Amino acid sequence: MIPRWFLPVGIITLCLALVPFAIVAKIRSTKSTETRPQIIFDMDQQPKFKAQAVNGLFADGRAMRPRVPGTIPRGELQEDDHLYRGKTGGEWATDFPMEVTSRMMQRGRERYDIFCLPCHGYTGDGNGIVSQRAESLREGIWIPPLSYHSDVIRSKPVGNLFNTISNGIRSMPAYGTQIGTEDRWAIVAYIRALQRSQNATIDDVPAAKQSKLR
Amino acid sequence: MGAETRNLSLRLSLCPYWHGWDPTAGEPQSPLIAEDCGLHRRYLRWRRVRIARPDRDSLNSMNERPHKEQFRFPRWTNTIRPHLGLGLTVAPLYLIALIYYAFNPTTTMSGYQPPQPVEYSHTLHAGELGIDCRYCHFTVENAATAAIPPTEVCMNCHASILTESTKLLPVRESHNSGMPIKWVRVHDLPDFVYFNHSAHVTRGIGCESCHGRIDHMDQVAQEQRLSMRWCLDCHREPENHLRPVDVVTTMGYAPAEDQIALGSRLRLENQINPSLDCSTCHR
Ligand code: HEC
Ligand code: HEC
Ligand code: HEC
Ligand code: HEC
Ligand code: HEC
Ligand code: HEC
Repeated sequence: MIPRWFLPVGIITLCLALVPFAIVAKIRSTKSTETRPQIIFDMDQQPKFKAQAVNGLFADGRAMRPRVPGTIPRGELQEDDHLYRGKTGGEWATDFPMEVTSRMMQRGRERYDIFCLPCHGYTGDGNGIVSQRAESLREGIWIPPLSYHSDVIRSKPVGNLFNTISNGIRSMPAYGTQIGTEDRWAIVAYIRALQRSQNATIDDVPAAKQSKLR
Repeated sequence: MGAETRNLSLRLSLCPYWHGWDPTAGEPQSPLIAEDCGLHRRYLRWRRVRIARPDRDSLNSMNERPHKEQFRFPRWTNTIRPHLGLGLTVAPLYLIALIYYAFNPTTTMSGYQPPQPVEYSHTLHAGELGIDCRYCHFTVENAATAAIPPTEVCMNCHASILTESTKLLPVRESHNSGMPIKWVRVHDLPDFVYFNHSAHVTRGIGCESCHGRIDHMDQVAQEQRLSMRWCLDCHREPENHLRPVDVVTTMGYAPAEDQIALGSRLRLENQINPSLDCSTCHR
């Protein structure tokens, strides 16, 4: 005869056997603020510095050392005034230092949507979502950007626009570090396209398609 | 009375509680008290042997090693004995399943969500404001790492937005002192693995495939397990994740056509053949 305690004890054991699984399931479904447990270290942490790692040897803790002021890395001497500063002969350049291609225009559009769109909006009239949010906060320090289609900006030479992106202007931040040189020129090209698009006349449309619009 | 018995009774007589007990006379009269008396223990042993084998001269066997009483399984265990084999196979299977489940990288590695020094929220910036990932993680297309943005990037906006916010105090402090904000790293591969963002992002693998819906995370958590198998699963079948390059940063991208059809087409068009060689990732 199987004793009477056998069944309850068996059931309890089976239930207890499920507890570890329940614990693991909980771990899996919840977030943890702890790093994963490391039982065997292997070579997970090597005595080398990856990008943006911490190096206690320096006061600021950066393993990636900032450039020493006043020095130029090899091969990065920016001699070409036109390309790097948008100036020709001391004046704002009125033409592009490279050929404007449709590829460059596509690139400009993509970069514009990444970096300028938040503030300047899709068409460049200055009502990007960040700009709207900033105004709705009513702090009084936000100066909404001017529309690209105002005469002031339409009349600016491309070199000046390039400089605005690189170094910022008044409350507009500088994007020289975030955007590469070629990409900045591509954005300028796209701004020109935007300006053209918002101030277009029917004569800009190819004659064959004009009838469709009317 | 043999020499043995005499010897014992002599020694027992040393026990203050058992004066005068004569082993040949059988059980002592009064109850046992001196639990820790060595002779007492010997008495107990003597008695056990005598009861177990009344026929033998128990006193002789007293100085031999006593026969341990054998453990006998109760009779009822016979009824369950035929099923023991089942138990013996289930137990190891249970252990294997438990270890697999508990030490699976999904358990140990995903879901890591460390607290950050600034209450920065991707839900707000990447989700609601719709800022492209590359605005802040601007090296992602050109470099191996998708740099955490420097303080200057935050100050692009926060120099003139929410300039009084206490939540942004560490950002302003960092801006003024030049000391970096100490963001806590979330995704971290072992140092013996080489990973490259630009190789993936410029070939049409979206951030979402590897980082999940960042735009729904107030605090970034690691969603994938980042194990070697996870890398290889995709390197074998990138079709499941490929998308056009211009939507790599789009969150919640749903292709108009079937994902596999789109993936296969893109794979063919762009000649995408992720390498499975060890040296690709371990260099
Ligand atoms: C953080 C929001 C923000 C972003 C992002 C931004 N801008 Fe601006 N921009 C401004 C503000 C604000 C002004 C107005 C500055 C003023 O008048 O004080 C402005 C002004 C301008 C002007 C007019 C300058 C002038 O001469 O009056 C140009 C051109 C311009 N931005 C181009 C860009 C381009 C190109 C990008 C993308 C690379 C960009 N901006 C990204 C906020 C922004
Ligand atoms: C406004 C700037 C900004 C934008 C836009 C942004 N991020 Fe971030 N991201 C950060 C900062 C700051 C951190 C570091 C703090 C943290 O981990 O929360 C970070 C951290 C991360 C991390 C975790 C890094 C680690 O330590 O492992 C991932 C992954 C990430 N971002 C992906 C994205 C994706 C994908 C997008 C686009 C949907 C995006 N980010 C948009 C600023 C930004
Ligand atoms: C393109 C502009 C932009 C950039 C870049 C940006 N933010 Fe913001 N951020 C905003 C806006 C706009 C808000 C306010 C949204 C609201 O409350 O309506 C905000 C709000 C915040 C808040 C909430 C503050 C509060 O008091 O509620 C924090 C924290 C914050 N940002 C941190 C950061 C950090 C850290 C970075 C740098 C990685 C950063 N932001 C980069 C636009 C930006
Ligand atoms: C193929 C998978 C994959 C894709 C696609 C991907 N990431 Fe990552 N990401 C990773 C891995 C793996 C790490 C950890 C890298 C390490 O530890 O070295 C990481 C780390 C990061 C980090 C932390 C900083 C760093 O570089 O170590 C950020 C920020 C980040 N990713 C953002 C992004 C953004 C933004 C995108 C989309 C443009 C993206 N990732 C696309 C897999 C991916
Ligand atoms: C979602 C899919 C996916 C995941 C996950 C993924 N990869 Fe990739 N990986 C790719 C694709 C697609 C390529 C590009 C292949 C090509 O260019 O032909 C690639 C390329 C690479 C390359 C560059 C190969 C070369 O030829 O230079 C490296 C290195 C790499 N992956 C490492 C990793 C590592 C390490 C992980 C895991 C942490 C990982 N990948 C996870 C899809 C993925
Ligand atoms: C697509 C990238 C990729 C390729 C290809 C790859 N590995 Fe890995 N491997 C990884 C990653 C990522 C990890 C780290 C997994 C983790 O953190 O648990 C890893 C971990 C390992 C480990 C485990 C180290 C440990 O003790 O945790 C070994 C061993 C290993 N790889 C060997 C190989 C060999 C052998 C090959 C060639 C057949 C190979 N790998 C190919 C990405 C790769």
